[in-house]
Amino acid sequence: MTLPEKTQKLLKQIHDAVVAYDEETSAQLCNALLKEGIDPYDGIMKGLAAGMDTVGGLYEKKEYFVPELLLCSDALYAGLDVLRPHVKTTREKEDVGKIVMGVIEGDIHDIGKTLVKTMFEAAGWEIYDLGKDVKLDRFVEEQKKTSADIVALSALMTTSMLAMPKVIEMLKAHDPGVIIMVGGAPLTPEIAQHYGADGYARDAVTAVKKASELMKK
Amino acid sequence: MTSQERMEAIFQYQKTDRVPLGAMSTGFNTRNAGHSVADAYDDPKRSFQDMQWTSEQYGWDPIPQYAGHTVLGAWDFGGEVRMPQGEYEGALVVISYPVKSEEDIDKLKMPDPKKAGRIPQAMRFSELQAAHDIPVFFFSRSPFTMAANISGIDQFLRWTMKKPEVCEKLLRLSIDHIFNVLEYWVKTFGPDKIFAWMSSPSESNQLISPRTLKKFALPYHAEYHERLKKLGIKRFGLHICGDQNLNLPLLAEVSPWEHPSVLSFGHEVDLETAAEHFPKDIIYGNIEPAVIQTGTPEQVYELSRVAIEKGKKAPGGFILGPGCGLPVMAPPVNVWAMTKAANDFG
Repeated sequence: MTLPEKTQKLLKQIHDAVVAYDEETSAQLCNALLKEGIDPYDGIMKGLAAGMDTVGGLYEKKEYFVPELLLCSDALYAGLDVLRPHVKTTREKEDVGKIVMGVIEGDIHDIGKTLVKTMFEAAGWEIYDLGKDVKLDRFVEEQKKTSADIVALSALMTTSMLAMPKVIEMLKAHDPGVIIMVGGAPLTPEIAQHYGADGYARDAVTAVKKASELMKK
Repeated sequence: MTSQERMEAIFQYQKTDRVPLGAMSTGFNTRNAGHSVADAYDDPKRSFQDMQWTSEQYGWDPIPQYAGHTVLGAWDFGGEVRMPQGEYEGALVVISYPVKSEEDIDKLKMPDPKKAGRIPQAMRFSELQAAHDIPVFFFSRSPFTMAANISGIDQFLRWTMKKPEVCEKLLRLSIDHIFNVLEYWVKTFGPDKIFAWMSSPSESNQLISPRTLKKFALPYHAEYHERLKKLGIKRFGLHICGDQNLNLPLLAEVSPWEHPSVLSFGHEVDLETAAEHFPKDIIYGNIEPAVIQTGTPEQVYELSRVAIEKGKKAPGGFILGPGCGLPVMAPPVNVWAMTKAANDFG
């Protein structure tokens, strides 16, 4: 078997381990990939991330739901933990950038944000996750500190979503060019627009696609 | 018709003078009366008075009328929960879950059915309901939702895939706790006064598949109703929260509750679809809360008109109301738009 064939097979196995939410196998295969001297960046993008891409498709087709996404995410991170320390260079892609994200002040519901983070992670974004119940000033501070391209705000409660227009105004006042995305159960595209956000995504899978679109504009 | 007469009529499949109108309105009530959201959970007397005034102001019928949960997962089982505070909090906040790992489950103790969490406050509230001759609402989450609230939803959903036996332990504790407290309510008020109300947000298809519902949630819905019947409680309502379109056929097939029961739907479920699945039950809903909060009165009025037109065709009856909890900060005029629509088209 030639090396490229062997590489391809290993990458496919990593992909499959993520889709099968097999955390242990994902880590083992990523270790094997390093031993074979395969570029860890390929392992991430063509193995792990490709797996999460398939997972996203299964979620959109309603074959996978949140429990499956969470376990696939665990398999992704198990592989990333192995490969990341060995990645020497970052590759520039025009639709990938830096993103600050968090669940807005007054809201502790972070399962959606966690999944959004995973999908961005898989797509190669540089992520600054502020967690949940994030004070409005923190979003501005973090964007300022990191010069993030996008700030993503999440809310599950109708009460906490009321903080969104305020923080959007604060962020835009500081950096009119920053892209702001919002999401969460009570949000709609109309409300997002009304609040002054640049984009809305209904779930974690579409969030990455929307962010990439916005980056190209 | 008085509110009480209207509700009795709808439970007998009889005509009402107008479409009944209700709202799950815990924090809205106290804010509406110039008090804090925390008062809704912490001050039964104030909460009750504010609910009564708000219900009268908007013409709401008692479907349901309560001030938060009677039983809670995280709090009752020893987690840390605090009252809502600040500008943007509208509900109780869980600081820490009682179950952080699998090992914690075996250390859990059954909560005191008279003293755990906010049960004492809920009892004071129920006493006021009984004293005013309105139904005594007993509000719990579904066992699945409560179990997820004991361990945190992320961990619980992972366990549904990897450790189903762990989920079963939490589900057993949850349903037994609900009934320990419910027995206390029955002893205090008698079964005829009690209106059991349940919500099931963690069962929405935004989180789980119908197969997870079938495996982990439906058996406990069935057991809940067997036990409810044994206690002699006849009035029941279920808030089928969020997008549960994929669950509807399974829920309809099992439908273990007495008919008619009140089935409340989110805006994600079309009212005609709901009525087709549950022809013997009273369909309740389903104005989108975010529109009530951020839209115009005209939008709320129009959504309500459409809901009434659809709901009137429901063979089991219809109640107009929000598709989930009434937003705490909803503009009064938008809330009034639902009342106006019920008066004009109902």
